[in-house]
Amino acid sequence: MLMERRDEILGTIQHEPGITFRGLARRLGLGIGDLQYHLRKLERDGEVFSRRVGRRRYLFPKGLEDEAQRLLIAISTDTRRRILLRLIEGPADQKTLSEYLGVSQPTVSYHMGELVKLGIIEAERRGKSVVYRLSYDPGLVVRMIRDYRPGLLERLADGLIDLLAGVGGGDD
Amino acid sequence: MIELILAVVAIVLSLLLAGISYIAYRKSHLRPALYLLIAFLLFAFKKTIDALSLGRWIDRDVGLITASLEVVVLLLLLVSFWKR
Repeated sequence: MLMERRDEILGTIQHEPGITFRGLARRLGLGIGDLQYHLRKLERDGEVFSRRVGRRRYLFPKGLEDEAQRLLIAISTDTRRRILLRLIEGPADQKTLSEYLGVSQPTVSYHMGELVKLGIIEAERRGKSVVYRLSYDPGLVVRMIRDYRPGLLERLADGLIDLLAGVGGGDD
Repeated sequence: MIELILAVVAIVLSLLLAGISYIAYRKSHLRPALYLLIAFLLFAFKKTIDALSLGRWIDRDVGLITASLEVVVLLLLLVSFWKR
């Protein structure tokens, strides 16, 4: 019975990498203590690993360590989350994104540069403009963004990042 | 007394702003966020000296130290907003 439950947990995490601890508990109808017990075992066996961001604990199957890190960096600011959600709807250039988000083009440019570096989006030159498209599993991106709950200080820091990227062009 | 309360409020606010700058730097590694972090910490330090002097916990003249800190803080703010 215990092994069946553990296999069920592992299967869900493998099928939905990036699911949160609470999301998994809800999905499987498990108590917090029960789930914690099984996850501890699975983490000790190296079958799964977790990454804590703010108050959320994201769960991934083994082998996704690098991807998880890149994704968590990619969704760490409000503007990037909004950019990714917009790109899920379809490719867009910087001007379109800037108008859609209501932020300056240097700010969008900084975030696009970071997302390209992380390998979450791709840039393609079309004539004079550069068009960006998501190069990642949209389901995973949406799942992680949906459960992301930044605190007040984090939201203020996101505003500061946008301000500094807009002023300085984000060369750092 | 009111001056002392205002100084404490200023210290708390500058530490809060330092915290926000730290989170911003950790997330983005933008150097201006680091300059802001240092600026707000120095400002909190300056206000602490001011408050200690106001409460007569420091006897010596701190005018030169606080004035120097003010200049450094303003320089750091200038560098933070410098268009690169």
